[in-house]
Amino acid sequence: MSFLDWIVLSCTLIFIIVYGMWKSRGQKDLDSYFLGNRSMPWYIVLLSIVGTQASAITFLSAPGQAYADGMRFVQYYFGLPLAMIVICIFFVPIFHRLKVITAYEYLEQRFDLKTRTLTSFLFLLQRALSTGISIYAPSIILSSLLGWNIYYTNFFMGGLLIIYTMYGGTKAVSYTQSLQLAIIFSGMFLAGWMVMHLLPDDIGFSDALHVSGKMGKLNVIVTDFDIKDRYNIWSGVIGGFFLALSYFGTDQSQVGRYLTAKTLTESRMGLLMNGLVKVPMQFLIMLIGALVFVFYLYFRAPINFNQGLLNRVHNSQYAPEMQVLEKRFDSLSVEKTGYVKAMAAALETEDEAAVESIKTSLQGAEAASDTVRKEANQLIEKVAPGAETNDTNYIFLHFVVSNLPEGLVGLLIAIIFLASWGSIAAALNSLASTTMVDFYQRLFRRNGTDAENLRASKAWTLIWGVFGIAVAQFASGLGSLIEAVNILGSLFYGTILGIFVTAFAMKFVRGHAVFWGALLAEIVVVAVFFADIVSFLWLNLIGCAAVMLFAGICQLLQNAIIKPVR
Amino acid sequence: MQETPEEKPPVFSRWSAWYWLVAGVLAALIVFFYLFTKNYS
Repeated sequence: MSFLDWIVLSCTLIFIIVYGMWKSRGQKDLDSYFLGNRSMPWYIVLLSIVGTQASAITFLSAPGQAYADGMRFVQYYFGLPLAMIVICIFFVPIFHRLKVITAYEYLEQRFDLKTRTLTSFLFLLQRALSTGISIYAPSIILSSLLGWNIYYTNFFMGGLLIIYTMYGGTKAVSYTQSLQLAIIFSGMFLAGWMVMHLLPDDIGFSDALHVSGKMGKLNVIVTDFDIKDRYNIWSGVIGGFFLALSYFGTDQSQVGRYLTAKTLTESRMGLLMNGLVKVPMQFLIMLIGALVFVFYLYFRAPINFNQGLLNRVHNSQYAPEMQVLEKRFDSLSVEKTGYVKAMAAALETEDEAAVESIKTSLQGAEAASDTVRKEANQLIEKVAPGAETNDTNYIFLHFVVSNLPEGLVGLLIAIIFLASWGSIAAALNSLASTTMVDFYQRLFRRNGTDAENLRASKAWTLIWGVFGIAVAQFASGLGSLIEAVNILGSLFYGTILGIFVTAFAMKFVRGHAVFWGALLAEIVVVAVFFADIVSFLWLNLIGCAAVMLFAGICQLLQNAIIKPVR
Repeated sequence: MQETPEEKPPVFSRWSAWYWLVAGVLAALIVFFYLFTKNYS
């Protein structure tokens, strides 16, 4: 990074911290600290919801995903708008009517204390671990590409945001997220424009789309049904619906966002607007990745986009073998560039037969390149056993660092920080609110003054922040932990959703039944996961259905046993 | 769809109109993406 990039990066981050602290002055009690006195308009709620869901990985991984696997990942979001509708109809009115701070408070009113405690515990468990990974995941990418120390990067990624999150609570989170998103979208727009600008002059936008499409990167819709395939329209609409319903309806990091709205209408509008903008937004982000793919058909791509791992191989005994592979990879790249130029010419003259023939040749060269990349990955594994050789998350950032002008690189790096901060700050706020409201205040200290509660809330925000950084530092030594924690989240979401759906839809079920039903359902979800028979998106549906089924059966058994005694 | 009479939504007179709009836009996007996929593949 140049000096100018460092200036842009530092100024952007300092500005966000000061802005967050300035906008959130005057916290007095739990309601102001965790819900901002319920004063937010719908557009702040919308930006906060989007900023909470979109982490740095969203902006790094999604373009990389399109580059590697095509745009079918967009289908993952198809269930989201439908989930927004259901949440607006059933969840939000109840939360507003009861004036809860956390979603789990409602469960004590509907069932009992143990169900509330179980659900909030499951939430804390998965959210605390995933927050650590949210710190670690972008840090490891930055550290690998820019040569930064991973421990210091973790500290800066997770540490600086604690300042404004602890000081200003939810108001600081919401207002900084709004500003962060404005900067993020400006940067992404510039990056998209730069991809097109950097392509050869004779390649227009439409030509780039045609080339990308012919190489299978514009496969937005996949209609083939396969229960083990993550991204097709069926898993996207059905599995994605239950995932979004769990996340937005029962995860306090999101519930806490729309409960800051000043009225029920503002909450609903924020959620519905999210349903309108999310799918097109994801489509545009992934389109950048599909265009970056075309860019690397014209210009040399590295054999692996993770420069840190590549450098380790070059400094090892396997360097000569890697150089041979890189030579083969480069000559295949030259061959592909020739085919792409020929394809662009054939597309210009609308010569379909030539296009099809060149497409076959290009796909052959691409397959050969993939084989060489796999051989390179095997070398990487020999040098760094257990290291993640999948370089999807590194593709977009490599493009940014290698090709964008001074200043813009600093802005894009700042965007990675800001995107991470948006979701991590909301997570810390939700962890602190759940700990305070569902455990500390409910079980240990019911009669604290406003000042005492506020102090304790700030302390819990700090504690969870430090815990997140500690998890991130621990994750540095365990390559597979990211996958483990992602799975952990999907293992619990279905059960938590099932408890809420039972509360809303099965009026005859009481606390004991849903508690034991939830525990049984969790066992089923874990068993299905270990049997490896479905993609993880379906676990949400299975967990939810299992809770409803077991809770219903438990209640009927309980009724049958108790009635004769009476 | 269930209606909550206590608060009137902006623009439309009923919340159900907003819900149909969101569902309709999703359906239109899926159709657009299908044609996009077919056109460029």
